[in-house]
Amino acid sequence: MSSLNIGGSQIDASWFLLLGAVLFTLGAIGVLVRRNPLVILISIELMLNAVNLTLVTFARQLQNMEGQLFALMTMTVAAAEAVVGLAILVDIFRVRDVEDIDDLSELKG
Amino acid sequence: MATAVFVVAAALAVAGGFGVIISRQPIRSVLSLVVTMLALSVLFLLLSAQFVFVVQVIVYAGAVMVLFLFIIALLGPARESARGRLRFQPWLSALFALAFLVLIWTMLQGIQYRQPDQTDMSIFGTVQSIAVGLFTTYLYPFELTSILLLVAAIGAIYLSRRSTDDR
Repeated sequence: MSSLNIGGSQIDASWFLLLGAVLFTLGAIGVLVRRNPLVILISIELMLNAVNLTLVTFARQLQNMEGQLFALMTMTVAAAEAVVGLAILVDIFRVRDVEDIDDLSELKG
Repeated sequence: MATAVFVVAAALAVAGGFGVIISRQPIRSVLSLVVTMLALSVLFLLLSAQFVFVVQVIVYAGAVMVLFLFIIALLGPARESARGRLRFQPWLSALFALAFLVLIWTMLQGIQYRQPDQTDMSIFGTVQSIAVGLFTTYLYPFELTSILLLVAAIGAIYLSRRSTDDR
């Protein structure tokens, strides 16, 4: 256990990591439980944000900039993922109205 | 002081996360995610990541979420059917996710950090230190990122073009 000195007060780094884990779990539940494809994309964004928090926490704990650089890379990949995912969704919705992700099962053997 | 800021921001982030997965309407999910992202940006500031904080607010909470809002406004309010086909899927997935959380929590109990690097903390997380890393050691991944964004832009344009003949 080690605590970070932030503005004079001590906060344990594990609290940040635990918050990241909680947010990641919430996003995972959203991906697994929700059936609206848009909400699933939003939950993926939530999971990516939780991972970013973890990366920045480790960067601060180890006093190493590489964690923050990797967080920036994650943001870039998340933006690209959101753009392509939303474009695919718009294309699907143009053909037919999908209200349940289970309707998209044409690839089923 | 910093502890109070952390507690408030963490509570807001978790509340926003619950809002994302509980809301019936997608637009409320997006707005809850904006709350989470702004709370996380405050935490980034606490962790002395100033540049990541700015990028989080401008690019993520600003641009990406506005993109989501545009798409939801374009597609209209999609209603989610009340029941899925798999009866036990919600409970099973929630159970597995909670098991995952317990696993992470157990791992965090015995966490050991290595010795921190002796970095000058006065410039830690500033634009200067970010740029030094981004344009020297990680120049190659940084340039590859631009290709990734180009491919994503071309792919989005190709997918969303209005085709008249093949449909």
